[in-house]
Amino acid sequence: MWTSIGVSSVEVLRRVGCEVEFDKRQTCCAQPAFNTGYRDEARLVARRFISIFEESEADVIVSPSGSCTAMVHHYPELFAGDSKWLPRAQSIAAKTHELSSFLVRVLKKEDVGASWNGRLTWHDACHGLRDLNIKSEPRTLIRNVRGAEFVELENADACCGFGGTFSVKYPEISVAILDQKIDAIERAGVQAVVSGDASCLMQIGGRLSRKGSKVRVMHLAELLNESSQ
Amino acid sequence: MNNSARESILGSIRTHLAASPPVDEHPVNPENPVILSNSDPINQFKESVESVSGRCIITTDATDALNQIITDLKAQRIAYSDNPPNAHDIFSFDVGISTAQAAIAETGTLVLDSSCERHRLVSLVPPVHIAIVNASAIVETLSDALTLLQQKEISPAITFITGPSRTADIELTLAIGVHGPQELFVIVDGSK
Amino acid sequence: MNHLSSETFKENAKAALADVQLRGALKNATSLFGERRKQAASSLPNWEDLRSQARAIKDEVLLHLDRYLEEFVGNAESRGAKVHWARDAAEANSIICGLATERAARIVVKSKSMTTEETHLNEALEAAGMQVVETDLGEYIIQLAHEPPSHIIAPAIHKTRQQIGELFTAELGMPPTDDVDQMTSTARMKLRDRFAAADVGISGVNFAIAETGTIVIVENEGNIRLTTSLPRMHIAMMGIEKVIPRFSDLDVFLKLLPRSGTGQRLTTYQSFITGIKRTPEDEGPDELHIVLLDNGRSRMLAHPVTRQSLACIRCGACLNACPVYQQVGGHAYGSVYPGPIGAVITPQLMGIAKAAQLPYASSLCGACREVCPVKIDIPQLLLHLRGEISPRKGSAAERLAFKIWARVMTSPSLYKLSSVAGRILQRVMPISRAWTNGRDLRPIESKSFHELWSNE
Repeated sequence: MWTSIGVSSVEVLRRVGCEVEFDKRQTCCAQPAFNTGYRDEARLVARRFISIFEESEADVIVSPSGSCTAMVHHYPELFAGDSKWLPRAQSIAAKTHELSSFLVRVLKKEDVGASWNGRLTWHDACHGLRDLNIKSEPRTLIRNVRGAEFVELENADACCGFGGTFSVKYPEISVAILDQKIDAIERAGVQAVVSGDASCLMQIGGRLSRKGSKVRVMHLAELLNESSQ
Repeated sequence: MNNSARESILGSIRTHLAASPPVDEHPVNPENPVILSNSDPINQFKESVESVSGRCIITTDATDALNQIITDLKAQRIAYSDNPPNAHDIFSFDVGISTAQAAIAETGTLVLDSSCERHRLVSLVPPVHIAIVNASAIVETLSDALTLLQQKEISPAITFITGPSRTADIELTLAIGVHGPQELFVIVDGSK
Repeated sequence: MNHLSSETFKENAKAALADVQLRGALKNATSLFGERRKQAASSLPNWEDLRSQARAIKDEVLLHLDRYLEEFVGNAESRGAKVHWARDAAEANSIICGLATERAARIVVKSKSMTTEETHLNEALEAAGMQVVETDLGEYIIQLAHEPPSHIIAPAIHKTRQQIGELFTAELGMPPTDDVDQMTSTARMKLRDRFAAADVGISGVNFAIAETGTIVIVENEGNIRLTTSLPRMHIAMMGIEKVIPRFSDLDVFLKLLPRSGTGQRLTTYQSFITGIKRTPEDEGPDELHIVLLDNGRSRMLAHPVTRQSLACIRCGACLNACPVYQQVGGHAYGSVYPGPIGAVITPQLMGIAKAAQLPYASSLCGACREVCPVKIDIPQLLLHLRGEISPRKGSAAERLAFKIWARVMTSPSLYKLSSVAGRILQRVMPISRAWTNGRDLRPIESKSFHELWSNE
């Protein structure tokens, strides 16, 4: 749905020395079903995820999405009591990382050689922040982007109001929450908002463009893939 | 009649607990790390009382301090906890005076014990409450006070008082003096 | 009283969003509460340890709730309290009305108790011919306004001072003002004679100590002390989950509750009441009646995920932190318990049929879990409830949509055609309008990442 996130993630990982493979058989982490309460359907899709990634000889699985990563970390809960699938779920969950967390905590890479001129700010996506404790890592990576002026967003850790199917089940509330975020972004006077989750970016970007704002949304991977060339 | 409700509820509790998947029970560790204590609990107590809009006088002449407050207030009808007025009359009193059996330095809290004196209405109904506490009865922490209270059988009514009464129910704006006293004076008797 | 229903949460929320005054009041209140809580929590270096300890204590009690309740009751009764057990709301109200009638009570004063709101006790007492007076300032305000509470800690948080001033002028004859001190004095004055005249005082309970049979009630105003010491009979209602094992456990909970609720180190008053007075000349009521309320709580013990609902100490911190509550306020939830904790206990107490929307009215952001003093994992609870509700009560269209989705996501050939699936989804669920009413949609890309990868 947002191919440049995938493309940028691969390029950034390669630039810092990783060998990257992508298994085309993959589909989804099953988050939409799990979050909406359809656990049987979620398990069907989760088993596929687990089976496919088990076959890989890669050391780690990296995702440019905090919420997808958090969902994979939920797999043990989804297969609790299932003696066949639980250990496989645990094994896959243990090797799945979100991109910024992987770069900074595992590879110890804080500077990926990116450059982007302009004033920008960061929105903490909820699952990344609260499920995976990702807070300092993206900021560290952003501060090392040459030419970028980073401004801390007011209430950066406040939810954008997406929440998966919540955004369409309760659209008025979703947008009311979103508008608090939009107001803060406008007050910050930035050219771009960066975040680690495409869903937040769709939510925020969708409202910014509806309001005719010039502020663009960028995924962290896209920012890190920017260069002055 | 109520025994069947009792058995029904207890039965329901047991049935539902039994239906639950087992969990690992983690023993409760009641130890708190020691927080560096203030070497001067009496002054800490005074600061704490003042931080909640109470007034605190440290003195070796409690009687004199008390008289001074009463004079300044121009108080007419004074209720004492050793001989409190009855529940209807007390509403017309200006000042209620009691002692406190202990006090907590870290929060500025008075501890009043009904088995030691009749504090319940005297410290509550008149618009001004004056409490006298011995300096030696000031403990440092809430935990110390709770431990103290457990040294004998718990009295029927123990009250902790921290400052005058207050509310923030209207627009979260602080208003001092609601149903309880509007002013609290604490006299710390340093002679004891 | 004008009660909104949980069953119409969506409509309630829409109406709330259109209420500019309400949204302003909510914004001020929740951000102030949130700031105060944050400062109070960070002033204690061992805050996280305290949360863990509190949760461990609650877990211990809940796993052995029958034993701790029996210990509490035995000790309370040995000190002269009479304990009554109420299986449900009707039984609780019947017990209390019976006690008040025995006393030939005409005037009943009450201090704030969520459980008495849960059972609609006031209506039952009034039907039995008694005058019921709420004495907590916030509760007094909403009683005059004939409204239900909108917040667990500050029931009148949805009202501006102007609205309250006008209410007091209309109902109490107060000279027009919006000065908070004047309004407070008016309430103090009006309520004083009710306290003096009351035959029965009814309170809630914050903590019930099994070891000593003590009930502990905390407040700032002094109305609880008046309610529980002036009338000849004191009735205390508590949910069965309010028990804690030992007197010394109060240290942990008295540190967490005031800070989480209002940002205070301690509220002005804590009353520790153990049985009744020892001699007739002593102060205090002649009779203490404790009513233990089940009303669906024991059912929640059946699963570790739902059991944690019962750890709640009713501090209200989750409400203030919740982006949904911040926008719509408490009334929209149509329940005595609003906000995140309300979204999980209301369906469990009232039944899923009456509150099926509530577990879905969340973006699962987790802010509530962060601020909960007893570490209740509310998002986990919400997901658990959704897992119970959706397969059985989800709309036929939605259940079908996810079956299709699962087929597509597990079939490579179907996945390739997933744009088709996307269009089916859009037809069976009105997603696109719900999105596009307020937000633009990203244009669909011509090549998927999978396709780009093939070209490498």
